[in-house]
Amino acid sequence: MNQNWLQHALRDTPFKLQRQAIALAGLGLFVAIIIGALYLAQSTANATLGRQLEELIAKRDQLEQTNEQLRSSIAQLRSVPRLLDRAKQLGFVDSGQQNIEYLVVNGYNPNRVQATPQPEAARPDVPEYDESFVGWVQQQWDAFTSQLSSFSNGGDP
Amino acid sequence: MTAQQGQTQIDTFNSRLPIVVIGMVMISALLVLKLFSFQQLSLDVINELSPDYNRNINLAAARGIIYDREGQRLAVNTLEYRIGISPNLVSNPQRTATQLAAILNLDELETYQALSSDQSYVLLAPRVSAEIGQQVEALELDNVIRIEKIPRRVYPQGTLAAQILGFVGGDLQGYYGVEGKFQDQLAGRAREEVVSNIPFEVTDQQEADKGNDLYLTLDRDIQFLVESQLQQSITETGATGGTIIVMNPRSGDILGMASWPSFDPNDYSASRERDWRNPAVSEQYEPGSIMKVLTIAAGLDSGKISKDWTYNDQGSIDVGGIKIENWDRRAHGVVDTQGILVQSLNVGAATVSLSMGPIDFFKYMSKFNVGRLTGVNLEGEATGTMYILGDPDYSDSSLGTDAFGQGLATTPLQMITAISAIANDGLMMQPNIVQKIVTSDGEVPSQPTALGRPITADTAHLVRDMMVVVVRDGLDSDAQLPGYTVAGKTGTAEIPTPVGYRSDAWIMSFIGFLPADDPQVIVLIKLDEPTTGRWASQVVAPIFRRLAERLVVLMEIPPDDVRLALAAQGGDVNGVQR
Repeated sequence: MNQNWLQHALRDTPFKLQRQAIALAGLGLFVAIIIGALYLAQSTANATLGRQLEELIAKRDQLEQTNEQLRSSIAQLRSVPRLLDRAKQLGFVDSGQQNIEYLVVNGYNPNRVQATPQPEAARPDVPEYDESFVGWVQQQWDAFTSQLSSFSNGGDP
Repeated sequence: MTAQQGQTQIDTFNSRLPIVVIGMVMISALLVLKLFSFQQLSLDVINELSPDYNRNINLAAARGIIYDREGQRLAVNTLEYRIGISPNLVSNPQRTATQLAAILNLDELETYQALSSDQSYVLLAPRVSAEIGQQVEALELDNVIRIEKIPRRVYPQGTLAAQILGFVGGDLQGYYGVEGKFQDQLAGRAREEVVSNIPFEVTDQQEADKGNDLYLTLDRDIQFLVESQLQQSITETGATGGTIIVMNPRSGDILGMASWPSFDPNDYSASRERDWRNPAVSEQYEPGSIMKVLTIAAGLDSGKISKDWTYNDQGSIDVGGIKIENWDRRAHGVVDTQGILVQSLNVGAATVSLSMGPIDFFKYMSKFNVGRLTGVNLEGEATGTMYILGDPDYSDSSLGTDAFGQGLATTPLQMITAISAIANDGLMMQPNIVQKIVTSDGEVPSQPTALGRPITADTAHLVRDMMVVVVRDGLDSDAQLPGYTVAGKTGTAEIPTPVGYRSDAWIMSFIGFLPADDPQVIVLIKLDEPTTGRWASQVVAPIFRRLAERLVVLMEIPPDDVRLALAAQGGDVNGVQR
């Protein structure tokens, strides 16, 4: 019995060593795949955000141009000749000296000293730090699942 | 299957399994390594494989906006589009021609013929509005259509303040006015930037350095009033041109400045080049009797004459071989200092300058900045001309003629700047057109700058009181404004030619400020060759009154009685100024 066990052990020892090496290599591969998957997920998220950012920048530029056009139009619509015409259409007339009455209010001094409230002491504008490792892992996981769901839906991320 | 055979298969499986696993591990490792090398190690290879990895973009800087003192936009930026197409890339010319012709308002058949050619580029519309350009963009003809955005400067108030603003040419450079003077500030800085096409590397820094915004001291409403009054005056008097300047004598801020002829900065090429200049700062003229105000001020301040000083006016005086006569060619007998201004006597002014002597007289004129740049921040300012003792062109008669504003030349802005010293207690402020400059770092307000103090406050008050009498009791009574104390003086100047002075045309002007005891506004009106009268007191003084009637409403300047009542209880006129 002792001899059989010894023979069995001697026969199986190399294979056990091989299995340990394979297990280590498999573990390493698994870790590498996990890291690769996380890297790919992060890269995809970055690429998606990059495209979205490009689109937003283009949209912003277009909106700024549109705003400038609108401001120009507003300025043209508020030009003095147009306002005068509009006022005349509405029945307004130029006010002359005879139409204006200045009132002197007894005891009122327009140049009186006014008490102005003091501004509050400025506080440092530093955002509160609330990041944690668990939160970061949760963010990665959410991004990963979001990518997976968007790919499986076949639509744009 | 026997137990021995089964054991043999298991042994075989066990012996091959490591080989398979090792193979898979190696293949996976190779894949991971290759992936890593693609991501990190082979950027140069990727660049070679894809030349479009980076692209150059030109970031045009937006030109700064120009506002009036109340924030009303006087100059803004818009975009226009140039639409072109590559016919050789158009797959469906008929449909494309139909779409483009409808949007661009083109003939559909001609558009179709253009698109049916095999040319690489055809210009469809050289300049269309941004609205139409965006409609073309929306067609998504990305591969065939070529849309270029062309920045354009627009002046939404039309011709308002055209000579102050100047314009921006097709080369995007500012010319004349503040556009030219502040080109460097307004233009900003365009940049060319290399941008990656890889979406990982998007940056938000794709902006050029925008130009600074300018806030002018102009008040749009006052500017419109000044321009409309000038236009009306020229029409009524048959003048060939003219200038009106409205300024705050306390600060030197120019509130309104108009000259005619003018131009439309939105269509500057349709007007003559000489109309682009601003005559208020670049045109010299002989100011005439307005100059007597400075002569009297100089005489009083130097101590050569006093308020009670008198002389015997015999109707003419000989200075340096030139016979100087009064405007009415009459002798006025014994006249005091105030009488010289009230009756606008050339002989009296010449007598004062002679009593001062050339050194003192021209020293004071130089202190009043006559014949010198004011340094206003507008392009094209002229220096004026005044020959002083020692100049090659100086003649002895200059001392006499300069005293009543003939034989020397100033710009309208120089003249109003000099007289503003009388209004501002003897302190002469530098005229200023820019209230503040807004940069990306904040606002840079302009500070009032004094050019000097040519006379004392007491002298200024004396001369001011005489100018009040000129309007109240003198020749210029048509400039009176009921309820307000106005100080002023007219000038009717002969126009020089290479062979002498014209006898058929004059430059008529009026300068006045109000309220006289606490001036808030000073106005210069100048008309070239009006035909409805012989003297400025007849032609220009009533125009001042009409303009001042509206100015006091726009500037909310109360009548004297209200002002005095306010002052009696601790306020002053500034308390009711907007």
